[in-house]
Amino acid sequence: MIGQTNINKKNIAVIFGGQSAEHDVSIITAHIPIIQSLLAVRQFDVWPIYIAKDGSWYCDKAMNELAYFKQNNFETLLAQQKKIRILFDNGLKIIWPGIISKTVQIDVAFPAMHGTFGEDGSLMGLLRMANIPFVGCDLFASAVAMDKVLTKQVVLAEGIPVVPYVWFTKNDWQKNKDIYLKKIDELKWPLFVKPVHLGSSIAISKVKQKTELENAIEVAFHYDDKILVEESVENLIEVTLPIIGNDELQLAAIERPLNKTDFFDFSDKYLSSGGKKNSGANSHYSEIPANIDKELAKKVEEFGKKTYYTLGCSGIARIDFLINAVDKKVYVNEINTLPGSLYHHNWRKVGVSGVELVTKLVALAEDNFIQRKNINYAFNSDILKKTGGQKNQN
Amino acid sequence: MIKNLLSRYNFHYPKILVYMLQASEYNIRDYFIWHWRVKNFKRVEQRKHFVKTAKSLLLLAAAWLIIISIIGFAVYFLWLGALNKILFFLIIFIVPYILAYIIIIPLLIIKLIQWPIEYVIIYKARQRLKNHKAVKIAIAGSFGKTTMREILKTILSEGRKTAAPSLNYNTPIGISRFIKTLADDEEVLIFELGEYYPGDIKKLCNLVQPDMGIITGINEAHLQKFKKIERTIKTIYELADFLGDKPLYVNGENELAKNNAQSKHIIYSREGVGKLKIINQKTDLSGTSFVITNGNIEVELKTNLLGLHQIGPIAAAIDIALKIGLSFEQIKNGVSKIKSFNHRLELKTDSAGIITLDDTYNGNPDGVNAVIEFLAGLKNCRRFYVTPGLVEMGIKTEEVHKQIGKKLAEANIEKIILIKNSVTSYIEQGLRENNYKGEIVRFDDALSAFAALPHLTVKGDIVLLQNDWPDQYQ
Repeated sequence: MIGQTNINKKNIAVIFGGQSAEHDVSIITAHIPIIQSLLAVRQFDVWPIYIAKDGSWYCDKAMNELAYFKQNNFETLLAQQKKIRILFDNGLKIIWPGIISKTVQIDVAFPAMHGTFGEDGSLMGLLRMANIPFVGCDLFASAVAMDKVLTKQVVLAEGIPVVPYVWFTKNDWQKNKDIYLKKIDELKWPLFVKPVHLGSSIAISKVKQKTELENAIEVAFHYDDKILVEESVENLIEVTLPIIGNDELQLAAIERPLNKTDFFDFSDKYLSSGGKKNSGANSHYSEIPANIDKELAKKVEEFGKKTYYTLGCSGIARIDFLINAVDKKVYVNEINTLPGSLYHHNWRKVGVSGVELVTKLVALAEDNFIQRKNINYAFNSDILKKTGGQKNQN
Repeated sequence: MIKNLLSRYNFHYPKILVYMLQASEYNIRDYFIWHWRVKNFKRVEQRKHFVKTAKSLLLLAAAWLIIISIIGFAVYFLWLGALNKILFFLIIFIVPYILAYIIIIPLLIIKLIQWPIEYVIIYKARQRLKNHKAVKIAIAGSFGKTTMREILKTILSEGRKTAAPSLNYNTPIGISRFIKTLADDEEVLIFELGEYYPGDIKKLCNLVQPDMGIITGINEAHLQKFKKIERTIKTIYELADFLGDKPLYVNGENELAKNNAQSKHIIYSREGVGKLKIINQKTDLSGTSFVITNGNIEVELKTNLLGLHQIGPIAAAIDIALKIGLSFEQIKNGVSKIKSFNHRLELKTDSAGIITLDDTYNGNPDGVNAVIEFLAGLKNCRRFYVTPGLVEMGIKTEEVHKQIGKKLAEANIEKIILIKNSVTSYIEQGLRENNYKGEIVRFDDALSAFAALPHLTVKGDIVLLQNDWPDQYQ
């Protein structure tokens, strides 16, 4: 059962799973709200493209149900599925090979992958080459946002404040440990040690004493070869701001996650949903809108928009901020180009339903695609003719 | 076509037949009407499922016995050479078709055994009630009986020991089972009288022996069974015939009930009842309030129930409470304690701030009008009206549903979500003919509509779920 094709509807492929630490989170985001909302629109033929942990691609409409991935015999079921092939032929086609093969031409892609290979720009690169509209940020914004150091460097260059930090690679650390330890020592403690490329707060540690530092760095290097050590903000208020749009931006409510632990880690973000069902990858333990000064809120919105423009985000993104409640300083912490579950719980509170959100994102993707088409990437030249060739023997 | 045919040769087919009998409350006529309409038997059990009871299991065993016997005999005769192969396969082929009819025989046998047992239970219950000193109140009507029962029970309990069957025990056997549980010191007993066919109410009156009655209204509910509205009226008014000169309250907001009332009957409405006058009626999502006056006495009352249409039944209950001897203080307390009932305009707010008004047990035209009237009065919010339409409207189906469309258009409901079936096109027609300006979204079944709703709504939206179709009407 691959699924029926409906010629009157736009074929939309939701791509999720992937070889990333956030594989499971991606499955949730893809279903709640993306697939469920796209189905509720009733104008799309939704093709769920699932990339397994081994990198194989599958597509079966049965995968439009989140329950498919929760079955005990999921691995067995997956093994019985045909792997799909993709073809770049005047757009993107997915093919189920076999004696009676089936081909579906995808009109719009909706990436729903977190972390490596998905949110880092790899998938966007693929979709750019396939030359089809796709939802969300393009390759450049995704790639920069995936690297916490690169993000800081880019936004800082535009005058947006970030928390002081030190960065190094595994190689740097092994060769010049003392230099970096000294640099780190100059920062104001306590510190955060973070792998640069990972999302969902995986392998992040808060270091209060020097004895803990090296261990924290080792842990982080286990997940990444580039590390960031940064100051922690005193009197901290963490807030986040989801934004959608290409040129005209629409802001959701400033949201304050109400942490249980010292900082917002993976289990806080995704696992401690208080048993609430169907709320997606983020749930209701946040304050929406955040109860902060108007002045602070204004700064957050201003920096949020500026960061979105600076990175060249499109479609959707979420900017995280750190605020010192006493000295009222606001820092941009990181950018998430595919917010977990699109932060639909927040959008719903500001009057944007799941259906309106996905419809808008698809429209933004199509606008972006038209703009991209108008840029001329080809250039006719006679350089080939003039270059090399067989030398005249005469 | 082939799928439909094969659905009869499914292992679950006998169970599905028994389920259909069970869901039809073992009414043979209703079962056949349903059975003749079904094309694919695999799709019968959608909203509810086969429930294991002694009766249903016995029938299921009988069904399998019938199948095995027919096949067994066929094989035996084939082996004897008394049956040629073509005839043999023909017999095997028609087994499911025969089974649908033969299953009635064991059912009739069970009924035959049940009948004297039930007769004794009912007879004993009747004798016990005859000697019971409580004031017996009977409620009849096409709609609103359960709401009336709950209102009465809550108010009267403030001053008198009151009992009423908690579930929809509105058949002779159901009521008799309830009577068996009585402590005999009750001061008020309240009964709902269910009407399915002419004579039903009379039968129930003979059992209950009511001292007073209430007719909550008459409309097209169950018209499919009654065929003509006149028969519905006559059946429900069997309560009036039984009561004679004893007090009977009639809902003045329902045309059919009111027009058939006599001068001796007491008419109630949101304007008052008898000498009691009602003013300052207000309703919103927080509840309903009004002032009741009796000569010089003025009492302000507030209830959690939603909608001005709730005031009439409350007024009737207040009048009965005063007759029985309750004070205004007790009545005020009682009214404030009335809770909304399960699936009857029941308000729920979820964590995302969406307000759901669950009115899935309300499937009658008067109830629908009252709810749309309530929705029309709500300001500053986006309203979703979700419905599969109403069942059992008989020849009135088209008219009733067009009317619903008209009312929805007039109330400017922003979004209409239709769960598609044979009647929803009439609602759409009604909407179109009245220049509806909102959005219509259609779903193939209730489950996909309910799955989509969280993605269609935002904080502050109001979602009204109107009526739920049982399997026999899909």
